Amino acid sequence: MTATGKYLRIALGIAVIAALIIVPMNFNRYGLYILSQWAVMTIAAMGLNLTLGYAGQVSLAQGAFVGIGAYAAAIMTTQGGMPLIAALGVAIVLCFAIGWILGYPALRVQHHYLAFVTLAFSTLAFLVFRNEDWLTKGIYGISNIPRPNVMGFATNRPLPFYYFCLGSLALVSLAMWWLIRSPWGRAFVALRENPVRALSLGIDTRRYTLMAFAIGSALGGVAGTLYAPLTQYIDPVPFNLSLSLDLLMMVIVGGSGFFFGPFLGAMIAVLLPEWLRFTQGYYLMLYAVAVMLLLIYSPTGILGILDRYLAERRTKAASALRAVAKSRLETAP
Amino acid sequence: MRSGIFAGLLLATVSAAAAFAQGAPIKLANVAELSGGGATVGNNWKNGIDLAIEEINTKGGVLGRKLEVTHADSQSNPGVARAQVQKALDNEPYVLLGPGYSGSVKVTSPLAAEAGIAQIMGGEAAELTQGGNKFLFRTSFGQQSSMPKVAKYINDELKAKSVAIVWVNNDFGKGGRDVITKEFAKHNIKVAADISTEAGQADFAADVSKIKAASPDAVFIYLNEEESARMLKELKRQSISVPLMGETTLVGQKVVELAGDAANGARGHVGLTTDAPVDLVKAFREKFLKKYNYVPDHNGLKGYLAIYMIKATTEKMGKVDAKAFADNLHGLTIKAASEPGILMDVTFDEKGDIDRQGFLVEIVDGKQVVKQVLPKLN
Repeated sequence: MTATGKYLRIALGIAVIAALIIVPMNFNRYGLYILSQWAVMTIAAMGLNLTLGYAGQVSLAQGAFVGIGAYAAAIMTTQGGMPLIAALGVAIVLCFAIGWILGYPALRVQHHYLAFVTLAFSTLAFLVFRNEDWLTKGIYGISNIPRPNVMGFATNRPLPFYYFCLGSLALVSLAMWWLIRSPWGRAFVALRENPVRALSLGIDTRRYTLMAFAIGSALGGVAGTLYAPLTQYIDPVPFNLSLSLDLLMMVIVGGSGFFFGPFLGAMIAVLLPEWLRFTQGYYLMLYAVAVMLLLIYSPTGILGILDRYLAERRTKAASALRAVAKSRLETAP
Repeated sequence: MRSGIFAGLLLATVSAAAAFAQGAPIKLANVAELSGGGATVGNNWKNGIDLAIEEINTKGGVLGRKLEVTHADSQSNPGVARAQVQKALDNEPYVLLGPGYSGSVKVTSPLAAEAGIAQIMGGEAAELTQGGNKFLFRTSFGQQSSMPKVAKYINDELKAKSVAIVWVNNDFGKGGRDVITKEFAKHNIKVAADISTEAGQADFAADVSKIKAASPDAVFIYLNEEESARMLKELKRQSISVPLMGETTLVGQKVVELAGDAANGARGHVGLTTDAPVDLVKAFREKFLKKYNYVPDHNGLKGYLAIYMIKATTEKMGKVDAKAFADNLHGLTIKAASEPGILMDVTFDEKGDIDRQGFLVEIVDGKQVVKQVLPKLN
């Protein structure tokens, strides 16, 4: 990459971040709610992107981990009167541990078989949320979930809470950026591309498979602890299989295995149906058609299109250089 | 070209001014389950609203102003419902309508209360009106007022000493089951079997076997419409002949259509039914059928009534005042004689619960037959 290209990217990044901070200041409560939802779903999708996009393990249980995080937050902050940060810690540890255990089947089964195992877990989690009344209040759900105070600032109003979500997203993104560039990240990719080769290169594929599952699941838990104070009421229904499928779609539509894939995917899954609402009864149909067309055109998602375009340009530039070099060789005396 | 634009602008200004002189439309916002698991509920509710608004507007509106409603889909998901209600409230509607699912009502009612906007909803869970919310209103009986009537009927008329309860495990079914279990305890009725089923369940063979094994004096069925029909068919197949009792859903029009013969003999308490022996309700049914080509369930009636609640309250106040609306609806009695759109006399108490006559219905030869009219309390 050239130096100008690099500066351009940094400038673009700063512009986007500035826009995310400044533009919503004038938004109404609805707009802020939708944007907060986008930030929360992006975190959950980033977790799944790590499991699926980087390590190549199909999981249909991410929605269940969001649920575990949400219930941890709801139960601890309403019944226990504890701060959200404590719930966050519990959610991360709990989801990490469960994710690790759920990773074991991934050592034995792959692809759609693994999808079935995680699907079963997703159903199990839903049944626990619904049937264990003593803990989760069952189908009645938990209401009046408080929003946290962050360093002395109350986040009850929509705008501060949006900044809280955005800040959390920023922290998670930084951690993810670091993780992917670390030897661990490279090991995850090696695992996806060619597990046998990865093993022969001395990568402990067993440990990294479990790790990919556990970290991805923990991020689902983080998203959940934000989701509970966002809606301030949770019941088991939003955490059924459809949320897992939604998150899977976000990752695939955005571009699985691309760092910014989940950001775009969550944007499409959360914002596109809202934009299409002017079509009244047809909005969900149009949304479905749009997603299908996109995946037919580019099975690797939106970032796949960009990637293809950049690759083409690079090839063209390279072949142009080669042609010049060749002609020079031929004209040389 | 420019003169054309100018003329257009002028026309727009003039017509806008004319509209203003007549009074701008009164804005209402509806958030309901138009897709997802509650689509039947939400679409009936929406159609009822549209029908009532059309009627009122053709007769000149409320206090000379037309009604205007926006519909938003909650996808039967509380999180989405919250977003849509937030959006609706940002546009400062006169009154908020919906949602129908109790969970979605629970998540949205604090928002409406905070904005000081009255919310007229379809939820039936007992607890909704018990949290001291001054802006929330029902359109039908809550479970805390319908279930005692069912329990009393089972005790006094059916003389059942043990009852099997079949309920759907969602907020609607669980709420009803919890209330009726308490009521049974008051009458010393034993719960012979307590059977939880899933929304969308197709096969009830195992559940009916359990009922058979428990051999109760009666069965209380509290499921959604489609599942009620499947349940009735299976009960007939396994030839269970004890009385079958339900509340609203079991004896609904849709159940009768789906279950056919198997629905005969099913009884239930109904707060609102299109088969009520009330001329105004029959007329409503005809109008609805003509406009939408199907017979509505009680949710269609609820949506319709919600709009007439708004009309009656506003006319009583003599002005369109969103802030004073809730105060005026509390304690209000609306008589069908003076406001035919309300269909039956109704009173709203301080909690937003309603008092209205109810019916005990039995299915005879595929038709709802009203066996008993339970009068309004006050």
